Amino acid sequence: MKVIAIRDNSNSRNTKNKIFLGIVIFFSLLTILPIILIVGELVVKGIGQINLSFFTEVAPDTLQAMVAKANGETIPGGIANGITGSILIVVLAAVMAIPFGIITGIYLYETPGKRYSNIIRDIADVLQGVPSIVLGLIVYLWVVKHITHSYSALAGSVSLAIMMLPLIIRSTEETLKMIPGTLKEAAVALGVPYHKIILRVLIPSSFSGLLTGILISISRILGETAPLMLTTLGNPRINWDITHPTSAVPLLIWQFYNDPNMVELIWSSSLFLMGFVLTLNIISKRISAKHSIH
Amino acid sequence: MNNSDKITKYFLFAGSFLILIVAGGMVFSLVGGAIPAFHKFGWHFITSTNWNPTEGRESYGAMPFIAGTMITSVLALLISIPMAFSTSLFVSEYFRKTPVASVLSTLVDLLAGIPSIVYGLWGFYTLRPFIMHLGLSPQGFGVFTSGIILAIMIIPYATSLSNEIIVMVPNELKEAAYSLGATRMEVIFNVIVPNARSGIVASYILAFGRALGETMAVTMLIGNANKVPHSLFDTGNTMASVIANQFGEADGLKLSSLIAIGLLLFIITALVNTAGKFIIKKLS
Amino acid sequence: MKKILILLAVVTAFTSCKSGSKKKGTDEKSAKTEISLSAAGSTFAGPFYKTAFKKYFDLTGVQTSYGLTGSGAGIRSLKDRVVDFCGSDAFLSDAEAANMPAPVVHVATCSGAVDIAFNVPGIDSIKLDQEVLADIFLGKITNWNDAKLKAINPGVKFPDLAISVVHRSDGSGTTFIFSDYMSKISKEWKDQIGVGKSLNWPTGMGAKGNPGVAGTISSTVGSIGYIGSDYAFAQKISFALVKNAAGNYIAPTIAAVSAAGKGDMPADTRIMETNSTAPDAYPISGFTWIILYKEQAYNGRSLDQAQATVKLIDWMLDPAAQGIAKELKYAPLPDKVVQIDKAILRTVTYNGKPILK
Repeated sequence: MKVIAIRDNSNSRNTKNKIFLGIVIFFSLLTILPIILIVGELVVKGIGQINLSFFTEVAPDTLQAMVAKANGETIPGGIANGITGSILIVVLAAVMAIPFGIITGIYLYETPGKRYSNIIRDIADVLQGVPSIVLGLIVYLWVVKHITHSYSALAGSVSLAIMMLPLIIRSTEETLKMIPGTLKEAAVALGVPYHKIILRVLIPSSFSGLLTGILISISRILGETAPLMLTTLGNPRINWDITHPTSAVPLLIWQFYNDPNMVELIWSSSLFLMGFVLTLNIISKRISAKHSIH
Repeated sequence: MNNSDKITKYFLFAGSFLILIVAGGMVFSLVGGAIPAFHKFGWHFITSTNWNPTEGRESYGAMPFIAGTMITSVLALLISIPMAFSTSLFVSEYFRKTPVASVLSTLVDLLAGIPSIVYGLWGFYTLRPFIMHLGLSPQGFGVFTSGIILAIMIIPYATSLSNEIIVMVPNELKEAAYSLGATRMEVIFNVIVPNARSGIVASYILAFGRALGETMAVTMLIGNANKVPHSLFDTGNTMASVIANQFGEADGLKLSSLIAIGLLLFIITALVNTAGKFIIKKLS
Repeated sequence: MKKILILLAVVTAFTSCKSGSKKKGTDEKSAKTEISLSAAGSTFAGPFYKTAFKKYFDLTGVQTSYGLTGSGAGIRSLKDRVVDFCGSDAFLSDAEAANMPAPVVHVATCSGAVDIAFNVPGIDSIKLDQEVLADIFLGKITNWNDAKLKAINPGVKFPDLAISVVHRSDGSGTTFIFSDYMSKISKEWKDQIGVGKSLNWPTGMGAKGNPGVAGTISSTVGSIGYIGSDYAFAQKISFALVKNAAGNYIAPTIAAVSAAGKGDMPADTRIMETNSTAPDAYPISGFTWIILYKEQAYNGRSLDQAQATVKLIDWMLDPAAQGIAKELKYAPLPDKVVQIDKAILRTVTYNGKPILK
């Protein structure tokens, strides 16, 4: 009696197991479908615009685009002012957000259950839900109005850094939690100073997770338009001065979207952003493979 | 604990101040900006469904936007969870370290790099005609269309962290379960999920937060009708979307009302979070 | 990790040094002028401004950044004194002007039309009079085969098709011009809806920006909406002829918009040119303005900065710049308006002294 019951049970368990695998594969394929459609559309519509001048020249004006369109030519110019601006703003934002994000993440991991840590964690989660345009508005009030007295790259990077910060804090903490406690205990037992445990044990062993967190936060801010409109304004030329208005790829996309003669340029610019994320992605995978401690 | 350890502790503690200052400053700025709206309309601001920006008969109520935001975001989360969870298992468990998994995870991560406007355009030119074709809604705009686009947009946020976390569940635990005769599915639900739960939930909260605050794509697809939607296929509007739509031209009382909506969104996100955490606690 | 942080730090240090030492553009022309201006505002006039400012950079080396933030945000930026001037499709009312920290002046730069675009299969052109136009956008005429529509369009075969009204969801100068006109021709509109950059619409669906409205109209059979004429032109969307105050049905051409701008012009250029009485004027037309402070010495701005600002705006009235407007399908300013604008610019001062002679 008993034996049969177990066998029946194991049969149904196996079937369930297989059905579940089927479900997983089905939904994974379902996830890929829109991705392929969107990415495919970007590539098909955008690839034609991408050439050397796309990376070296600044954005065209409406008249140039109109004339080119009327003659059936490719729209001249590129997005060099946007690319340099995006790099400037994102690097600045990363410099501000990454150290503080990781430090706070480690603090949360080291002091779990503390009232103060819980508050910090809650705040980080809430900050993630604040719409980016509200961040733009606030940074406009703080930085544009009172610090640089002009729209500026600095203001843009502050607003993007505020977006990055909670993402990095949470990913750092969650990744650290997954490190086997024995690793840290061993180090403590050996009498290794605390800061060395952090630098030599915690950070290296969670490196791929930390990097993923940083990567996802950078890819999240790369395409942000709304806060930049309120903080960096845009610039028709290449600009490296952080106190001056600066362009960025998403700002150019917004400009192209609003100009009936330049709509085509949206696709190539977006394709570029996507390529950028892909590159970051591959780099992070390479690095994490190298640093894997398993 | 010696001195150097103490210094390190204080250093970490001091570093965590920044986010407190940022959040405190934000609440301060938002509350300051929202005061005129609440002063004028009182609590009625939250419950009123009337939104009339015409000069001389201005009246602002946040209810249509609160409803629109909650409905679209919950819908997006419901659609994305099975997809994101399956993808995570596919990448980090079933086909872990295979080329297929690597391609899939790269593709999903690419989604995060596509600007919101492009999702909006894709929804507008591809998804909307499809919805019209299916006869679900006469104009193709609305809560349902926005929910689907949002679901696609938040998948990379829901999977990124969960993938990492699932991979990091100690092998010893899984092997122990297998040696007791557990099937793959049982290992997933009895070992992986419990161990990775807080990370997985954190990434879904992250994704939900992203859905709450998403602007451009939703704006292009929801129909921007300032009313509480009556059905899934009705048009509506969201809090982030009304801010983005109206902010450029707003001044005075209207500006204050928009900031007040920003503040409400901030509060709603906090409540959602607390609820999420309460659920995790109940489950464990 | 640490290495990456250090690398990032070095990169920023490098870029900021670089910007400090040899500030952008080693263009020879800019040897003298290290001046860069910034402005924000109207999206409607954006293509014109961006093209003209770029041309001006080629001529003089003065670089101008213009952000498409919308007129209201542009005005707010001017109020907060974070830009040198702003672009707006609506002039400041007396109350709004009094709210600014210092007196401002308006300089009209060009004008444009708001088209009534529609999508009915098989119909390229329709006529609309004031009553029908108001009834459609008030939601009182709901089908394309309505008797009133047929009466003013003899010979057009209207299908039995529901009308879907499409309007802007974002605040917009285009909506302001459209609603200003509607309030002039329909008492019901004036009482029920009024004039504004965003409205409480009785019917229809909202789409974001001119591209959103244009896209929605071209993909929705039976729709009708209003869009900036440059947009309708570039996207080749069918538009209606609108009956003007003189009783003629007029298409939104550059000539018809110019005709609307030839009426009386007050000395401060603050006038809406909708519903013009000129016989060949397109009735839904409007100016767009650059707004700047009358006294340019504020916030530690240098005389050079002030001069560059005023000279740029002065150049915008030049035939060369107005020619760019025309090429981009905006209506250039009539001579009379240019003269008024120039007189206004001569009143702009730096520490009380006029900047232009």
